[in-house]
Amino acid sequence: MNSDTREILATKDVAWERRIMAARRRATLIDRAMTGVMSLAALFLVIVLSGVIFIILRAGLPAISWTFLTTASSITDPGGGIGPQIWVTMYILVLSLAIVTPIGVGAAIYLSEYARPGPITNAIRFSTEALASVPSVVFGVFGAIVFLTIMNLGFSVLSGSLTLALLNLPLMVRIAEDAIRAVPTAYREASLALGGSRWETIRKAVLPSALPGIITALVLTGGRIIGETAPLILTTGTTISPNAQYSLNPLQTGETLAVHIWVLKIVGVPGLQDAQLVADGSAAVLLLIVLIINVGMAYFTNRLTQRLRGASGAPRAGGSKKG
Amino acid sequence: MSEQTSGHRTLAVRESSARADAPAAIEARDFNFYYGDFRALEQITMLAPRHQITALIGPSGAGKSTLLRAMNRMHDETPGVSSDGQLLLEGADINGFSDLIDLRKRVGMIFQRPNPFPMSIFDNVAYGLRLKSQGAKKGVIAEQVEQALRGAAIWDEVKDKLQQSGLALSGGQQQRLCIARAIAVEPEVLLMDEPCAALDPIATLKIEELMGELEERYTIVIVTHNLQQAGRVSDQTVFLSMNPETRAGFVVEVGPTQQIFTNPKDDRTLAYISGRFG
Repeated sequence: MNSDTREILATKDVAWERRIMAARRRATLIDRAMTGVMSLAALFLVIVLSGVIFIILRAGLPAISWTFLTTASSITDPGGGIGPQIWVTMYILVLSLAIVTPIGVGAAIYLSEYARPGPITNAIRFSTEALASVPSVVFGVFGAIVFLTIMNLGFSVLSGSLTLALLNLPLMVRIAEDAIRAVPTAYREASLALGGSRWETIRKAVLPSALPGIITALVLTGGRIIGETAPLILTTGTTISPNAQYSLNPLQTGETLAVHIWVLKIVGVPGLQDAQLVADGSAAVLLLIVLIINVGMAYFTNRLTQRLRGASGAPRAGGSKKG
Repeated sequence: MSEQTSGHRTLAVRESSARADAPAAIEARDFNFYYGDFRALEQITMLAPRHQITALIGPSGAGKSTLLRAMNRMHDETPGVSSDGQLLLEGADINGFSDLIDLRKRVGMIFQRPNPFPMSIFDNVAYGLRLKSQGAKKGVIAEQVEQALRGAAIWDEVKDKLQQSGLALSGGQQQRLCIARAIAVEPEVLLMDEPCAALDPIATLKIEELMGELEERYTIVIVTHNLQQAGRVSDQTVFLSMNPETRAGFVVEVGPTQQIFTNPKDDRTLAYISGRFG
């Protein structure tokens, strides 16, 4: 409080009080206005999301039928399906997650539990951040050079999965590390005090508590894998061999749903009359797959949290409830 | 219980059955502890007799928790700590244990805030038993879990919901669950770092009653800010204070709780006990 203020207050200056009242009214007004603006932003988000779902489904749902989901695509005759594309999409999703998860979670454990602050840790963190901002098409070019040319894996599901694993590694590490760091120190101390070794503590006390966060990392990574096109065009290809449509062979070329849409919409398939409809149907299927995975995982994480914590929203360790 | 009015504060002091000649479970001799260059504890000499409750009391910054955590080397996870002098568990140098796991199995710890794992009540208590490093046999785990829960006076409250999450319990129950978890691995010593600081009076009373029972089987060292609590539960009291110049914690006076609370030898102890300082 400066001396002016003191004087004014001491003399109970009426004008001063009026100014304070005006300032308060202004604050209340601004507060209300900002609440409105924020609500509008949230509302906008909901509108955009429902808009996306509505428009994509309205265009695509008419194309979807059991036959559409299970038969092979055709580049000449109308009535082709997207069965093999769904298969390749799921295959790359699983394979890529199987590669990126152990490496990503392992690195996250190292960074959060073992790494001491220093130049090496800083270097790792910097590379992770830097890698996260590299455009995916650059990873595609990199994958084409390393996996196709140097390792001679050819255009294949494996090349694509490896490329996407690299692409998603930074995201995975980042979210998993946050999840592991968020585990209360109290759990680590409790485990160590019971005679647990460092690794036992991580495996039995820290990781189970971080599991919901790690699952979130998997879902976000999975969403990006399903939707990615550019790196896959360069590493997995845009065709599915007619005699290997549901092949488990990771060295087959492949075409995911997202790439299929890109081919139909951008490259174009001359002579195929229902190309637009197939593309719209594929987009709808892609959206439904992502929605199902998200809702399913949210349900699973919720159940898991409930089992770990008692009831959802139950207090965390620390006894905030009265005894 | 005998009562002693010292200054304006009335303290109930427990009638101790403690024998002064009981052998020491934990003993410190000229023990110094450092965080980097800073000496946090200087020339600590005290002992915690076997199967008795020893309270560490003193103002904030006197190093009570630091001393307690040195007893099972919880500091090992903190970079830059060191110590010299002697800190002994049954005559063996605690810092000389090559096997930290063995030390911590023998010296269990209860923390300020109840910290059950986010898993079922059963799994919480079985946690220590299941650690590979401890080599417990599989078939006997259920039995040992029950024993530990009975030992922590919480069995009747949880026996029908062993598969429920430990975090769904109340704070006081959580703390007793943590005690069950600690005694399941059958330690010799239980370190308690202000175990009731986060609990309400009724839950606190239950823990204090429990400590009286635990004393028959375990040696207990408790840090408490609550003088009444130290008076109620402990047999021995160690009064620590902070050296105003070096800011290091040191022992002012050690003795049977009754003597410390009714007839302290050091004026600084009297001042603290009577509430004139700290």
